[in-house]
Amino acid sequence: MFLALREIRFSRTRYVLIVTIMLLVSFLVLFVTGLANGLGSATSSAVRSMKADHFAVQKDSDDRFARSQLHAQQVEDARAIVGADSAEPLGVQMTTVTKDGQSGKIDIALFGAEAGSWLMPETVEGGALDASETGDVVVDRDLADSGVGIGDTIVDGTTGLKWRVNGFIENNSYSHMPAVWMNAADWASYRSELMAARGGEPDTAFNAIALRSSGSRANELAASLTDADIITKAQAISAIPGHKAEQSSLLMMIVFLYIISAFVLAVFFYVITIQKTSQFGILKAIGARTAYLAGSVAGQVLVLSAGSLALSVALVLVMKEMLPAAMPFALSGGTILLSCALFLGVALLGGLVSIVKVARTDALDAIGRAGA
Amino acid sequence: MNKDTMERTDLAGMSANSPHGAETRLLLDAVTHTYGDGEAVLTVLDGLSLAVSAGELVAVVGPSGSGKSTFLSIAGALLTPTRGAVAVGGRDLAGLNPRRLADLRLRQIGFIFQGANLLPYLKVEEQLRLVAKLGGADKAQTARRASELLERLGLSERRRYYPDKLSGGERQRVAIARALMNDPSVILADEPTASLDADRGRDVTRLLAERVKAEGKAGVIVTHDERILPYCDRVLRLESGKLRQE
Repeated sequence: MFLALREIRFSRTRYVLIVTIMLLVSFLVLFVTGLANGLGSATSSAVRSMKADHFAVQKDSDDRFARSQLHAQQVEDARAIVGADSAEPLGVQMTTVTKDGQSGKIDIALFGAEAGSWLMPETVEGGALDASETGDVVVDRDLADSGVGIGDTIVDGTTGLKWRVNGFIENNSYSHMPAVWMNAADWASYRSELMAARGGEPDTAFNAIALRSSGSRANELAASLTDADIITKAQAISAIPGHKAEQSSLLMMIVFLYIISAFVLAVFFYVITIQKTSQFGILKAIGARTAYLAGSVAGQVLVLSAGSLALSVALVLVMKEMLPAAMPFALSGGTILLSCALFLGVALLGGLVSIVKVARTDALDAIGRAGA
Repeated sequence: MNKDTMERTDLAGMSANSPHGAETRLLLDAVTHTYGDGEAVLTVLDGLSLAVSAGELVAVVGPSGSGKSTFLSIAGALLTPTRGAVAVGGRDLAGLNPRRLADLRLRQIGFIFQGANLLPYLKVEEQLRLVAKLGGADKAQTARRASELLERLGLSERRRYYPDKLSGGERQRVAIARALMNDPSVILADEPTASLDADRGRDVTRLLAERVKAEGKAGVIVTHDERILPYCDRVLRLESGKLRQE
């Protein structure tokens, strides 16, 4: 570090420039990562936050809840295998509601589950759902932005059913729509009304069964449950409409940013190292070991990338506070640490070419040379 | 690595005293070096022998292409000769691996090069601290030695200057101080006055000779600058691969 730090001190302009470039690239990496997480959470947080690890869906439904229908008998069968408290029926339906007495339409994702079961999200404000009450719902706090408050009534656009908002839940959205959770009994009546409104036979089917079970139990269930597939939570999330497309394009951007930063660093350090070949020759001649010189180059890469990372983390955190609510952004401490570690690794990889060059420099170059 | 952990293999006859009666610090015995193989063999050094004792400054002169660089590289443990033996500070270099050779250069040999001698981004004092640090010396001792050397070479005022703020003569004086920093047995200088005018060249050589005598080093200057020869104890001419006394 003796050489690394003193050289940075001496050639300040040069290193400030590279830190600026690194800062911009790593800022972009963190920002896009946060955006990807934010979007991911907007499409999937309702499913992600469920305490289930597997789901049973109808065969040939492509893992999508909306395409799947399961009946009470299958719920019974599943409970017989994995235990009564490890399988819960789940209804999912996207619909449009209006606040009672107003005309503005709001898209929501409607979820139906047993009130008081482990599947039901926790209420953060107002009251939880009670199995003995009907007509009550708990809604994601995003609905407050549309003017819906506790005690208000919302009206379903298709069936005309009315529900009273009993409480708020948090971070619960599905396919960019705020989630609205209702009791299983309300779900059954909504489902029959919906089928009737569409001109079909009224039925009280669910869309999926949420399971809390080990992988082996899930396999056992898959073998015995008729007309159903057992999928993992991750499969269920990636089947949410739009989720996979968003995440894969953002992931591609992130991957490219890492590659770009590796290249920028590689080129910068290689050019600097070539300029310094004669210095490395002299250092080797006077007895510096290759490991020491390689460590010095690696030390510089680390100092510069750590410096730019610290700045860009600070910048991203400031940015996060300033972003409008309409721009979903989520960046946890763990993700920041992981991104930083990855970035440092990639930066070192970029410095590798220079280290090889340093290792190959011959101490003999120092003898019989007139100029620098 | 510690000096003491290195094998001390005294070569037979290496304890032989030089004409001056002092201990021999640098010894090249029947050194032959050839480049290429098969038909096109170029013999650069042909049975060259040289013994330099403590406190002696030897000048090696010769036309370009006479093998001065090869001679210096071999004496400086940078190049292993095709045949013959080299001993620095009484230690035979035969069979040392590159890492041990690097350690030996660090502790036993002080180099002064023509140009590009100093690292542009280290202040004068730091140039000296670097070699001491590489050699694993402790801080207090390093500081003492550095300020003593800078004092002796008239650089105390310049200790916090970067090389680009120094004159050419000052730069070579820093190089001398750096070469002496780890208290080596041998000082090797490669055309140290090449980029200096006559007065400064003489100045630098005088200081070098003074330090070599005062600290009991074996000094070798490879040069074609005739004006500095009066400061040297012996002048040897490199011709057809051998050294001849002038």
